[in-house]
Amino acid sequence: MRPFRSIALLVAAVPALALAQGAAPAQPPAGQSAPAAAPAAAPGSSGPETTAPASPSPAEPPERSRTQRDAPAVPQTAPDAAPASRPTDDDAEGTPAQGPQAPGPTSGTAPESPPSDAPVLDSGGEAPRTTDAQQQRLVNGAPLYNPNVNVHIVQKKRFADEGKHELVLYPGVVQVNGKFTNHVGTALHYVYHLQENFALQVGGQYNWYSDESDFNLELIDKVREQAQAASSLLLQWGAHAGVEVTPLYGKFAFFNNSLAQFSLVLSGGAGIGKTRHLIRPEVANEVEGQTYQVPARFGDTGNKFLGEVGGGFRVQFGESYAFRLEVRDLIYTARVDKVDGCNLADFESLEAARAANQPFEGLNLSSSCKVAKFDGVDPETKKNYREDIILGRDLVAEPSSDVLNNVSFYAGFSVLF
Amino acid sequence: MNARTLRVFAALCISLTALGAAAQEDGVLDSAVVRNRLYKPAGHPELSLSVGLPVQTHLTAHYFFNVGLAYNLFDTFALEARAGYAASRHTGLARSISESFLDREDKRVTDELEDLWQMNLHGVIGARWAPIYGKISLVADIPVHFQTYLWAGGGLGNLKRESVIQCTQVVDRAAGVCDNRTAVDDRGSATENYWVKESRVAPVVSAALGFRFFIQQKHGVRLELRDWIFKDSYRVNLLRDDWEAGNPTGEPAGSPGLTHLVQFDLGYTYSF
Repeated sequence: MRPFRSIALLVAAVPALALAQGAAPAQPPAGQSAPAAAPAAAPGSSGPETTAPASPSPAEPPERSRTQRDAPAVPQTAPDAAPASRPTDDDAEGTPAQGPQAPGPTSGTAPESPPSDAPVLDSGGEAPRTTDAQQQRLVNGAPLYNPNVNVHIVQKKRFADEGKHELVLYPGVVQVNGKFTNHVGTALHYVYHLQENFALQVGGQYNWYSDESDFNLELIDKVREQAQAASSLLLQWGAHAGVEVTPLYGKFAFFNNSLAQFSLVLSGGAGIGKTRHLIRPEVANEVEGQTYQVPARFGDTGNKFLGEVGGGFRVQFGESYAFRLEVRDLIYTARVDKVDGCNLADFESLEAARAANQPFEGLNLSSSCKVAKFDGVDPETKKNYREDIILGRDLVAEPSSDVLNNVSFYAGFSVLF
Repeated sequence: MNARTLRVFAALCISLTALGAAAQEDGVLDSAVVRNRLYKPAGHPELSLSVGLPVQTHLTAHYFFNVGLAYNLFDTFALEARAGYAASRHTGLARSISESFLDREDKRVTDELEDLWQMNLHGVIGARWAPIYGKISLVADIPVHFQTYLWAGGGLGNLKRESVIQCTQVVDRAAGVCDNRTAVDDRGSATENYWVKESRVAPVVSAALGFRFFIQQKHGVRLELRDWIFKDSYRVNLLRDDWEAGNPTGEPAGSPGLTHLVQFDLGYTYSF
């Protein structure tokens, strides 16, 4: 009968175990104080080592009050140390020595053998792991001090996301796969967490630096080669909407001192982006013995469809703050057949007029061609814009297309509300 | 641009630090929660094997095969020696440049391209610092324990360089042939090429950010983003007439900069 009684006691203890394991993000009443005696005290042990203070200090987490409520429910059907066996759970490991045990509700007689699935003690022969009330407090709802309780520490998220809004600012967005291009920008995203693991997101990004890479300029300089226009298209800004899922979550400790919860976030979406292409790099312009530095010139290549996929980590600090480290790939189709609205025929007409030193008025150009961008002289740098016509024509002379992957590293922080 | 970038990153760091400090003050950070580490590598030596794939390729591509031997002085700190071989090659872009440049006679004076050195045999000794220990919940009840670490060290690497500009014996200029292939369109038949080659042994620095996922007590999987860094070296002011005559030309670049080989490493670790 004793094994049956033990099993019955274990079954009866299940609800209490469930209580003990449940993380307690909700705040219990502040005035709720703990019972005076720590129930995890080993029979026979005495003194302050196993006695909890009469009331928790304000600094202690509210879960503390559950410490004393849970442990008595843990039956100890095997008062003598069970054979050493490593606990199966991740947080009941370590070196749980024969620690404090709850007083067994059974009579003094020892059972013949515990059930095979009963929690057991590791009789490592070491001193009890917990000795004072501070160590016996619940941590995220887990009675880590009690080696008899199997605790799934990564069992319940401490902070719920469902129904929350999240505003994410990525001050630094740096392209990491820039062979022919370099982008650095800033992004702002809004995320609404529809469910715990599923959210809707909308965001925008402005690349305050977008230029051809040094590698591309090196090729032009040294071997007279360069990337096709479509392969070196630059993304000026982008806006997209999509979804975000968080299939995994976890936690980590930094040097055993600080805990942080994190989630793996995966995102996908679609939108639109504005592109441009370098027409002329920065040059020095000499006019009448004076040198002017002429900044790089870019030509508008239109808006493109934008796809977005990404993944990363969101590390949460409390209920309201988080920071994110992500890698996102902005995918856009690139076909360059117009620069500043002018196609190849337009550039041919403009070049012919330039060679003949004729005005551009009256030329038969397409309606989208912004002819003013290729006419006149810059008053500050004395650069004649007509000299850029041939460069613009080169970009569209051989229409090129490509699918570009702009993979960037996003570092940012967010506020949840 | 650099100054602006630095300013932005400084602001970002300050913001993140402020967030963490605020969280600490609010008591939202518990102390020593992951106190029971299931895996304590301290005092254990370990052997690791890894394969590295290039994150990005410009003119060369490297595929690393490494063996590592480490000793964990503490749970969070280890010393490791790594050695291996990197299979390397020119990319298609480099080949394309080499073929077209043979016929570009309008460019008779030029500089060698940067970052053309290929690393083969290499060995480094470094330190691994793993301040972060964590666990993730994979599916429901399967916790996976991991460490996040930084690795830094240095050593030596055997480097070789094959020019894509200087061909000492042009076979077919229009077709861009600079080797002894038997047919113009059969590159595979070549047994020797006439591009200028160099080799050297140079100091190498390596740094990595990685994750180590524990599997049972003795096994582990490592994912790393690793950078191999060494000083570049190339010649400038090269004269086409000289190199095509087989004569040395040009002079070493004054400040050639550093070459970075950024790899994604996948590795296995066995702890003794």
